[in-house]
Amino acid sequence: MDFVNILFNILTSGLPCCLLAIGVFLTFRILDFADMTAEGSFLLGAALTASLIYNHINPFLATFLGMIVGAGCGLVTGFLNRILKIPKLLSGIITLTASASIAMLIMGITTPGQIFYSQVPLSLSSHQTIYSVFYSSKISASLAPFPWNKLVESLVMIVIVGIMIVTVYYFFGTEFGMAIRATGMNEKMAKSQGINTNISSIACVAISNALIGLAGALYVQDALSVSTVSATGYLVIGLASILIGEAIFGKRSFKNWLLSVSGGALLYFVIITIAIKLGLPTELMSLLYAILITIALCIPLFKLGINKLKTKLERGKEHVRT
Amino acid sequence: MLELKNVTKTFNLTGNKEDLRVALDNVSLQIESGEFVTIIGGNGSGKSTTMNILTGVIKPDKGKVLLNDVDITEMDEHQRAGYFGHVFQDPMMGTSGDMSVLENLEIAYLRGRTHSPFKWGFKSSHKKEFIKELQRFDLGLEDRLNQKVGVMSGGQRQALTLLMATIRNKPTHKMIKRDYIKFSEKKPEVARKEFDDIYLPALEEYKRQLKNLKHLPKEIRKDKKAEFYEEFDKKVRQFDLTKQILLLDEHTAALDPKTAKKVLELTDKIVKENQMTTLMITHNMKDAITYGNRLIMFHMGHIIYDVKGEEKQKLTVEDLLKKFDEADKKAEQE
Repeated sequence: MDFVNILFNILTSGLPCCLLAIGVFLTFRILDFADMTAEGSFLLGAALTASLIYNHINPFLATFLGMIVGAGCGLVTGFLNRILKIPKLLSGIITLTASASIAMLIMGITTPGQIFYSQVPLSLSSHQTIYSVFYSSKISASLAPFPWNKLVESLVMIVIVGIMIVTVYYFFGTEFGMAIRATGMNEKMAKSQGINTNISSIACVAISNALIGLAGALYVQDALSVSTVSATGYLVIGLASILIGEAIFGKRSFKNWLLSVSGGALLYFVIITIAIKLGLPTELMSLLYAILITIALCIPLFKLGINKLKTKLERGKEHVRT
Repeated sequence: MLELKNVTKTFNLTGNKEDLRVALDNVSLQIESGEFVTIIGGNGSGKSTTMNILTGVIKPDKGKVLLNDVDITEMDEHQRAGYFGHVFQDPMMGTSGDMSVLENLEIAYLRGRTHSPFKWGFKSSHKKEFIKELQRFDLGLEDRLNQKVGVMSGGQRQALTLLMATIRNKPTHKMIKRDYIKFSEKKPEVARKEFDDIYLPALEEYKRQLKNLKHLPKEIRKDKKAEFYEEFDKKVRQFDLTKQILLLDEHTAALDPKTAKKVLELTDKIVKENQMTTLMITHNMKDAITYGNRLIMFHMGHIIYDVKGEEKQKLTVEDLLKKFDEADKKAEQE
């Protein structure tokens, strides 16, 4: 049962991060926009969803609103960058900085008499999440110790992530989607081809952060608590997922690229889980993140080295023969 | 007709008053539709600035840009893109390297239109047309539709850019109406009424014809429908005013001589076939004389020489060099 538990843990923590990774991918790779907003929209998505669920609002509506608040963050960053002409990195940092306060303001609605609050604890007994809607205590009890609830949770996540991947894939094949891709790759060309690059950029950042906000919403309903401290470091996870996915699964076409990135997120959690199981102290986690990213970035170099070695060996063989 | 009226543009890159550089000094220029203008001039003489002001990449400090007597000075680059095709000197500039040939052409096909987030970006009917166009280029691009443009040579990319600048999807009826009202010499209300007087009855009739088709078998219906639509379409297309203007900014400068020649010949062929109004900047004086039917020479932000028709055909490279020398001497004396 230990293996099954580990598997479901990887799935339930990895699947929300698939959306996170795709969100970061859309700005980082498609739009060529190093978007720091990700961290903020993840936190806001999680905070808003948790606060709404805490106040017994329909969890599906709460999740949807979590996604919208993410899109809002993206709109602000896009506006700062494209209309107010603030550099990309800085406009992301501005939104990120603001989002911490706004998250506390949002979480303040959970405690009467308080305006600001820094965390929201949820409990399954009194609050309903989009996963717990589908829980069934009967089946769960009869199948114990099989983690039935975790299975349901994973399935709900898979459906949502699947829908989002398909939507993103089709969206970027539409006329507007192509305009966004052209903007990211060659803005001068995009403009001369009649694309309003301000609109396409802002839309892309908003869509990206909507996905990240949704990732936050899915995450918080699994973790059942959110605080301004716990929801940090997710930008790095997104970036690492992209790099690992690209290095291992490739980026031959847009479809392949999209799937690689989501696969990268899952793989990332496999590696982290193995590291924890091997007894790596959590204090060393950040170091592991850094090493992982470095390795992922160096994989093309390794591949090149291996190819060189191969040709050398082959030449050597020929030399022996002659 | 395309017109620059008293256009002045000064660049001040450092913010220092002494570093002001006048790129264009009170330049006026009229280009009739159908003209193929070659533009020559030294570095920094204002050739590229002129082109960038026409397409809206940069806005003039003073003066106006007129298209069919309509002021388009304040229109942004992407809003004007439907009327201009721009080919840059850098072959990497005009295409998107990470997208396939097909995707690049689709982007070009959407120029001047709204990019709908609900319409699928690829249409098989377009693909056939692209293949037909690419075959004329004879570069083997028609077999590489799904390849990324980034792996192609500079010559191939530039040829593709040229195609992207000249290819044009037929404007929709809505676009024709919009442009007719905007660019016809008549007053907007008159133009609108004139358009509607033809368009509405034609549409009515087309609908009526479709209704009559209902009882026919499916195969015949399809053919008839296409036939009727063509008839209806033809009536609307007579209002189509917008002809693309082709702007070539030293588009063969980065290519090897053989490819450059090929691309130039292609350009000439396309321009002649479509009777496109064209402006071509070149550093090659021989090309400037050989191609086109009008020649303009820029010098230090002024137009110093403008010659058309027969007089242009008699020109020699020596004549042009002499003109340059004269201009230089004159500038020194001043």
